[in-house]
Amino acid sequence: MKLAWQNIIHDRARFSVTVLGVCFAVFLMIFQGSLLAGFLRAASRLIDASDSDIWIASRGVQAFEFGTVLDSRVREMAAGIPGVVETGRVCMAFAVYRTPNGTQQVVALVGADPNVGKRFPVPNMTESAGGTSPEAVLYDVSDRKQMDLTSLPAEVEINRHRASIEREIEGYGAFLGVPFLFTSYRNATRYMGFGPQDAMYVLLRVSNGYQVSDVQQNLRQRLPEVDVLTQSEFAHKSRMYWTMKTGAGGAILTAAVLAFLIGLVVVSQTIYANTMENIEEYATLKALGASQTFVARIVLSQALICGVLGSILGLVAAVPSIGYAKSLIPWIYAPWWLPAVMVVPSLLMCALASIASVSSALTVEPGRVFRA
Amino acid sequence: MPALRDVSLTFERGTLTLVMGPSGSGKTTLLSMLGCLLSPDEGTVFVDGAAVNQLTEPEKTTIRQKKISFVFQAFRLFHSLTALDNVAVGFEIRDPGEPRRMEMARELLLQFGLGDKLHQEPNELSPGEKQRVAIARALAGNPPILLADEPTASLDAKAGKNICEILRNQVNEQGRTVVVVSHDPRWREFADRTITLCDGQVEQEAKNQ
Repeated sequence: MKLAWQNIIHDRARFSVTVLGVCFAVFLMIFQGSLLAGFLRAASRLIDASDSDIWIASRGVQAFEFGTVLDSRVREMAAGIPGVVETGRVCMAFAVYRTPNGTQQVVALVGADPNVGKRFPVPNMTESAGGTSPEAVLYDVSDRKQMDLTSLPAEVEINRHRASIEREIEGYGAFLGVPFLFTSYRNATRYMGFGPQDAMYVLLRVSNGYQVSDVQQNLRQRLPEVDVLTQSEFAHKSRMYWTMKTGAGGAILTAAVLAFLIGLVVVSQTIYANTMENIEEYATLKALGASQTFVARIVLSQALICGVLGSILGLVAAVPSIGYAKSLIPWIYAPWWLPAVMVVPSLLMCALASIASVSSALTVEPGRVFRA
Repeated sequence: MPALRDVSLTFERGTLTLVMGPSGSGKTTLLSMLGCLLSPDEGTVFVDGAAVNQLTEPEKTTIRQKKISFVFQAFRLFHSLTALDNVAVGFEIRDPGEPRRMEMARELLLQFGLGDKLHQEPNELSPGEKQRVAIARALAGNPPILLADEPTASLDAKAGKNICEILRNQVNEQGRTVVVVSHDPRWREFADRTITLCDGQVEQEAKNQ
C-alpha cells in the first residue's frame, strides 16, 4: 500500500530509528535463542552422543555431570535382564590437570567404554584409527588455549597420573567453563581412583525384539535403588536441570522476552506517533468512503513494513555475530531454522504494537473533515 | 439550539446547488448530513431514494464509497503522496479491483490541466492546483454526487473561477449532482439554485436563471 509506505518513510529519521529498534530486538531474540538452543544441546550432549537405549544412574542424579559410583552388581544384574543385548560404562569426574609447563587447572574427565556409541568421543581401540592409542586422552579444539599445549602428543598429568594427550576433537567444548577430557573407561577410573569394576553410569542397548519400555520396567523392578531412564528421559532431565534449576535458562529466556518487549515499545511508539500525526488523513479516507478494513490495513502495513525491514537487518547482523560468538561460547548453536522462526514473533510484535494505533485510526470521526 | 430546524430540501439529479449563509447557519451540518457523516435527530435523509439515517456505519461508508464524494476547503490531500498517487487512492477506495487505476488517475489529472504535475507532492503545488487534484480524487470511481465545502475559499480569483467552471462542467457533461457550500458570490453564476440558510433554517430558495 503506497499510502502506508509513503507515510511511514516520510519522516526518515523516525523510520530509521524504528527499523533499528526492530533490528535490535530481532538480533537479541535470535542471539538469545541460539544461546538457549546451544545450552539445551550442550546440557545433554554426551547423553545424546551415546547409542544406548537405557541409562542407569544412582538414585536422584539430576544431570550427567553429577553422577556417583554405582554398586558393581548393578551392571551384572542389568546384563542378565531379557532384552539387554549389550552394556557399557561411562564415568565423569572433575580432575586436576597439569601441563608440561607446570600450569594447573580443573578439567572434567570423561571415560567411556568403546561400545557406548559411534559419536561418543572416546579413543578408538583399533590400531587403524589414526594411530591413537587406546589409553590416549582427547580434548576439544575450542579448549586449545586453556590446555596450554604447544604440540601433540603431549605428556601431562591428570590427578598426579601421567597421561598422553594425543588428539583434538570437535563438538565437545567446555560447557561448565572447564574443558572436557575424554579417555577410555579403564584409563579414567585409574585417574579418578575408582575400582576397575566400579561404574558411574551403566548404558544398555535393547535387542530389536524387545520394547525399551518393557526392559526399563523390568530393570526398575529388579533394581529399585537406582534410576533407570531411557536415553531421552535422562537427556531431558539433564537439560531441565541446567536450564530451569540453575536459572540459566530462565535468564536467557528473560533476555529474549525483554528484547521482544523493547521491539514492541519502539514500534508502537513510532506507529502511534505516525498515526496521530496523520489522523486527519484517516478522517479524510473515511469521509471518502474507505472501509474500516482499508484504514486498519494501512496502519498494520506500516507496522509490518518496519517489522520486515528490521527483521532482515536483524538476521543479517545475527548470523555473523553468532559465528564470532562461537569463539567465545563454544556451545552456542544456531540451527538453520532458528533465525527464520524468530521472524514470526517479530512480525507478531509489530502487529501487536499497532493495536492502539489501529484503534485510534478506526475511531476517528470522519465528520471532522469539515472543521477548519 | 439545533444546528438545523424544519429543513426540507430536495437536490435534483444533474444540478448544481449553492448553499449560502453566515457562519453558524447550519451549512456544514447540512453538508455532513447529505454526506452520511451525521444523522439528524429528527427527519430522514434520502440518497438516491434510499433512507440513510438508520443505516449502520459500515452501510453509510458503502454509500459514500459508491455514491458520494467530497471536496474540502483545506484540500485534504495526502501529503506524502504525489498528485497521481493521491487520485489513485480515490480509485483504490471506490474501485479496488480496477487494474487501470493509475492510467485513469493520469487521465483525470490531464483533463484538469495537471499533466506536468503528476509526480509532484502537494507541497509543491499551488492552491489552485491542489484543489484540482482534490477534485480529480473526488471524481475517481465516478461518484454521482459531489459535495463541496468552500472549495474556492483558499483560492485567488482566477483559480477560484477555474474551480467553478470545472464543477459546472461535471454537472453539464457528466450529469453529476453537485452541492456547493460557499460564501463566494461567484458561485451564483454557476449554480442552478441557491439556498440561503440562517440560524438553521431555510431563509430563501431561488432558482437561478
